[in-house]
Amino acid sequence: MGWFSWGNKNQDISEPSRQNRQKCWETRDSYFDCLDRANIIKPGDEGNSCAKEKQLYEDNCAKSWITYFNQRRVLADAQKDRLAQAQAQADSARK
Amino acid sequence: MREVSHFVTLMFSQRALASLARRTYVGGQQTARHGRRNFSQTLKRQSQFGKDRNTIGTLTPASAAVFVATGVGLYFYFRYEKQKLLEEREKERSSRQYGRPQIGGPFSLTRSTGETFTEKDLLGKWSLVYFGFTNCPDICPAELDKVGTILNKLEPALGKTFLPVFISVDPARDTPERVGRYLADFHPAFVGLVGTYEAIKGACKAYRVYFSTPPNADPQGDYLVDHSIFVYLMDPEGQFVEAFGQNTEADQIAARITEEVARYGK
Repeated sequence: MGWFSWGNKNQDISEPSRQNRQKCWETRDSYFDCLDRANIIKPGDEGNSCAKEKQLYEDNCAKSWITYFNQRRVLADAQKDRLAQAQAQADSARK
Repeated sequence: MREVSHFVTLMFSQRALASLARRTYVGGQQTARHGRRNFSQTLKRQSQFGKDRNTIGTLTPASAAVFVATGVGLYFYFRYEKQKLLEEREKERSSRQYGRPQIGGPFSLTRSTGETFTEKDLLGKWSLVYFGFTNCPDICPAELDKVGTILNKLEPALGKTFLPVFISVDPARDTPERVGRYLADFHPAFVGLVGTYEAIKGACKAYRVYFSTPPNADPQGDYLVDHSIFVYLMDPEGQFVEAFGQNTEADQIAARITEEVARYGK
């Protein structure tokens, strides 16, 4: 399970290396791309449609990172909506 | 001084215009229309004194004296204004020195190589201080890479006068060995610092940095640390200069540091 298996017997928990991070980000991006294609915002709502990507993502990123990235995806989307709303309001106020 | 020369040019051109106008008038054509009203008044007055007609342009000893006096007066006036401006600028600069935020201060931590490291070890170099943790998902590595890029941009011109410092805000998990290995991925000049929870808390307080690790965090745990993500620029006397946020690009920071180094050297 790689470097993120905190719970295993191995006492020497190593820090993530540049390669580890890169691999995690890549698998995250391909999972999120898959969600985008399925028109899903919140990770976990996609059913089985991105199972392969999700498995790779979970194999290569720590749980805490996955929680963080998933939350950020939802927040970024909400923010995008709010910004669009604010923009629409500003536009209509100008008319 | 440019103002004075402008004014002189203006005076000359007005004079030329006036003499031109007068000549046209003297020539019998009543079409000195392009002169302003005060010009035509002057013209009328001058035409009454036929004697003046043969002097060169409008240059009489009296007007020459007025011209010179105005010039000298303006010269001193502008010199005075310039002096006043310089004084104001100086005052502003000194007040900025006093307006520095109180960031930085005493701390005692351990280097990833084992030695003790205090705020005194920052003296003599420009330091770039960043607080983070090795399990940081994406912001810390991006910022540390940015610091490396900045150093690579600055060092060819300014020499190895920079000290990048990484202070771990994860005392439970970040051992000196972990931090040392972690930083090897970024820039060879990085100094990694770790300490007990209390020591880290003290350093964070000095730099007004917030961090969320609980004192009793599980060293085996999988958690994230929420923390402030500024890069602090400290001058060779250990004084805070500026804090750079995530949105400031490496190029902008490098330019800003170059500016500060030049100003400091003066």
